[in-house]
Amino acid sequence: MSALLDVRDLRKTFGGGQTLFGAPRPEVRAVDGISFTLARGETLGLVGETGSGKSTLGRLVLRLIEPSAGQVRFEDTDVTAASTRALRAMRPRMQMVFQDPYGSIDPRMTAGAIIAEPMTAHGVGRAEAAGRAARLLAQVGLSPAMAARYPHEFSGGQRQRIGIARAIALDPSLVVLDEPVSALDVSVQAQILNLLAEIQARSGVAFLFIAHDLGVVRHVSDRVAVMYLGRVVEMAPRDALYGAPLHPYTVSLLAAVPRPDPLKERNRPRIRPIGEIGSAASLPTGCRFHPRCPRARLVAARGGDTVEAEGTRLPSACVRQDPLLAPAGGAAHLAACHFPHED
Amino acid sequence: MSAAFELRGLTAAVPGEKAAIRLVEDVSLHVHAGETLAVVGESGSGKTVTFTSALGLLPKPGRVIAGQALLEGVDLLTLGPEALRRMRGARIGMVFQDPLTGLNPVFRVGAQIAEVLRAHLPLSRQAARDRAVELLARVQIPDPARRVDDYPHQFSGGMRQRVLTAMAIALGPRVLIADEPTTALDVTVQAQVLDLLGDLRDADGMAMVLITHDLGVVARQADRVAVMYAGRVVETGTVAEVFAAPRHPYTIALFRSIPDIEAPPGTQLAPIAGSPPEPARRPAGCAFAPRCFAASEAAGCHATRPPLTGTGHAAACHRQGALEIAA
Amino acid sequence: MSATFEDIDAAAEAATRRRATLRRYARHPGFMIGAAGILLLLLVAILAPWIAPHSPTQTDLMNTLAPASSTYWLGTDQFGRCVASRLIHGAQVSLLVGFFVVLISLSAGTIIGAVAGYAGGWLERALVAVIDILLAFPSFLLALALVAARGNTLDSIILAVAIAYTPRVAAVMRSVVLTIRPRPFIEASRAIGLTPWTIVLRHVIPNALPPVIVVATVSAATAILAEAGLSFLGLGVQPPTPTWGNVIAEGQTAITTNPLISLSAGLCIAFTVVVLNLLGDGLRDTLDPQMRRNTGKLL
Repeated sequence: MSALLDVRDLRKTFGGGQTLFGAPRPEVRAVDGISFTLARGETLGLVGETGSGKSTLGRLVLRLIEPSAGQVRFEDTDVTAASTRALRAMRPRMQMVFQDPYGSIDPRMTAGAIIAEPMTAHGVGRAEAAGRAARLLAQVGLSPAMAARYPHEFSGGQRQRIGIARAIALDPSLVVLDEPVSALDVSVQAQILNLLAEIQARSGVAFLFIAHDLGVVRHVSDRVAVMYLGRVVEMAPRDALYGAPLHPYTVSLLAAVPRPDPLKERNRPRIRPIGEIGSAASLPTGCRFHPRCPRARLVAARGGDTVEAEGTRLPSACVRQDPLLAPAGGAAHLAACHFPHED
Repeated sequence: MSAAFELRGLTAAVPGEKAAIRLVEDVSLHVHAGETLAVVGESGSGKTVTFTSALGLLPKPGRVIAGQALLEGVDLLTLGPEALRRMRGARIGMVFQDPLTGLNPVFRVGAQIAEVLRAHLPLSRQAARDRAVELLARVQIPDPARRVDDYPHQFSGGMRQRVLTAMAIALGPRVLIADEPTTALDVTVQAQVLDLLGDLRDADGMAMVLITHDLGVVARQADRVAVMYAGRVVETGTVAEVFAAPRHPYTIALFRSIPDIEAPPGTQLAPIAGSPPEPARRPAGCAFAPRCFAASEAAGCHATRPPLTGTGHAAACHRQGALEIAA
Repeated sequence: MSATFEDIDAAAEAATRRRATLRRYARHPGFMIGAAGILLLLLVAILAPWIAPHSPTQTDLMNTLAPASSTYWLGTDQFGRCVASRLIHGAQVSLLVGFFVVLISLSAGTIIGAVAGYAGGWLERALVAVIDILLAFPSFLLALALVAARGNTLDSIILAVAIAYTPRVAAVMRSVVLTIRPRPFIEASRAIGLTPWTIVLRHVIPNALPPVIVVATVSAATAILAEAGLSFLGLGVQPPTPTWGNVIAEGQTAITTNPLISLSAGLCIAFTVVVLNLLGDGLRDTLDPQMRRNTGKLL
């Protein structure tokens, strides 16, 4: 059986060209050659920091923004080549839930109208859409009687439930969730995560779950992909990635998460990447992570072929050669690092 | 030993349609020199309002209606606006959540730090600038002599938060209040900034108040913790005590609802039902009772407000020690 | 599910909401005063033939420039016509001008501005160029040209003033739409597969309307002023048809002896402008779901 979603070498470049006065404009490679597949009913977690390109990737998959290159196949149809009309006809099958529960629903429409809108837009009669909207409200844990209320009368968590009801209204096979719980309070986050799990168990929908919170991603995902400056640097089944991370970026991300356990926190070594995520407008040569990589420094200290870079000596492979995402542990554990098994 | 900063029964309110709406009620906290107190709560819990009211920064029409805010024994709430202004910055520093809005985009960062210094100290322009470079070095900004002339937009989010921290510690305050200082930052940068705050506290022996919603940050950084819910402190104690054996059902439920990166696979999240009450609609009894797994009529959870009881590790719950909670 | 959800009865909630809507309007003093003022003006205009004490054009040459009396409430002008009757009849023209100018400029300006703001690209640049040219063009000159081409009829004046106000509405609309376009719910609408037209009509325009309504009511007021101005210059509705502008113009010759003539017409215009502005602000407030809450409770 072919995958539900098949993304091949997807790229998005912003800017470039010249300004009005002929000065070159920096080219930002927000998404720079990403490939992955997603099976029916599967959840792929997509983790990365601000500027990693994860939100851009989510929008490219749904073609809410136009890719610069590459292909997205969804249910065996080429999304990237579809006409505007064909794309609109595919929308019911691929939906999105947004980060901002306050901004992503129209403040002037009632909850019922918001949930009914995708149905009426795709040919469901008004009365039937209203009836189904009431049932959807109940499904996401709100009272159907709340259909007449406006968004500002709901709490953040309740609004996110409305956004989820809108996304599942047409029974999609794929939902892209862009940081769906990061704007919510901790106690409410868990409600929404459990609701999403319940919906997936019932309908078999596949999720592309974008988040920066590694705990949340671990909780919901079957597989996890870690993004850094427009690339996937590691992709593996969840327990392999969290249990035995191979890429030094993943290692330092996991080490940086503060854990609610004072004993572990006090006794943990501080493994910190150096500095901050660079800019996708001026990418480093070779491996994108080498300016911050603690492992490259350790490997160089042990000898081998090194060069002068970043004010220290680094392995020449890290500085000169762009590592490919390749199987590094098991066949399903991919990492883009020259030294995946060093530490 | 007396506390460096202490709140006693602080209550702040805004006028409402019928009666005043209490944003925070009867909040008592203290923090010693060289110690970090974490104040934990969700949005609307009053954790930020508590400190803006204590420092006279609560926006109108809100005002403090009861309580004391003692900074090394001086009640800030009795000071006039000018005396209070001199205290802020000089004796008590603040770092806020959003590193973008804290800096003025049209001035160089060095000038902004120098402005803080010159507002309180009789310094020449050059001396203030030299101090600004020193301060940037203290918050570990690389190449401070050059970066002092950069504009805020030339700094990354983490670097801006370091600049704001430099401004907050410029006058050597005895107390540093950091309101969600790392919430807007990525996790690797967050770790760096938390390390920095911890180092500064240790070096200067400052008392630090860390306002956060992240229990992981509390575990890493704080010595003691106060958990706030619906405008009140519901549990307080040392971090070790509270994390090992939380006593308030809200604290217990909070721990159960966090997706931990090291929890065994297949662990179910136990969310807290509903959402926190708005200040105007807080229930008559315990504010957490409608969402509480242990609430009971017999214990009076829905009828009366539970007081904060216990010495050291204290909780405000009618059902403390009951079976459901102990489990 | 929490207990608070279960005690909501849909029918009871709908009824409460209807009552709340009425109360919201009733509690907004500006809206109520504005609405009452407009209603009064409309009644006066419609019932003019019955409530006016005299014919607005009948001259009483024995009683020119008479002071206010029980026969002539506001006195007479230099032709001995009853000023009060002329003002009462003049309300018809003024309200007609105001109404049609708003109707035309609001609908055309809203669509043009929304399309320009939402579409972007060459379409936006072309529409903005047209808007800018029209904005820069002196509206009085435009009115003069139209009146010259089509004659001094009421519809020429309405058309001229409407063309002058359309680009203002369009410019405001576009700038508001530019702030709405990047909001997440617009992207959400694209994600559920709405067509651009549906997005503009259902999501963009309703969210952009409040400030535009304010502009539109202000332009109704200024349209009435513009008609008066044109009539004052003799370019508007031709005498002896009574309009407030004509009354001011004709009163001008006697302004030192009988200031009441021009003054009373001026007060009529001022009153209309004030009630229209109050109504506009009231509509903006009450149409906004968030303001609905704010009138209900503090915080």
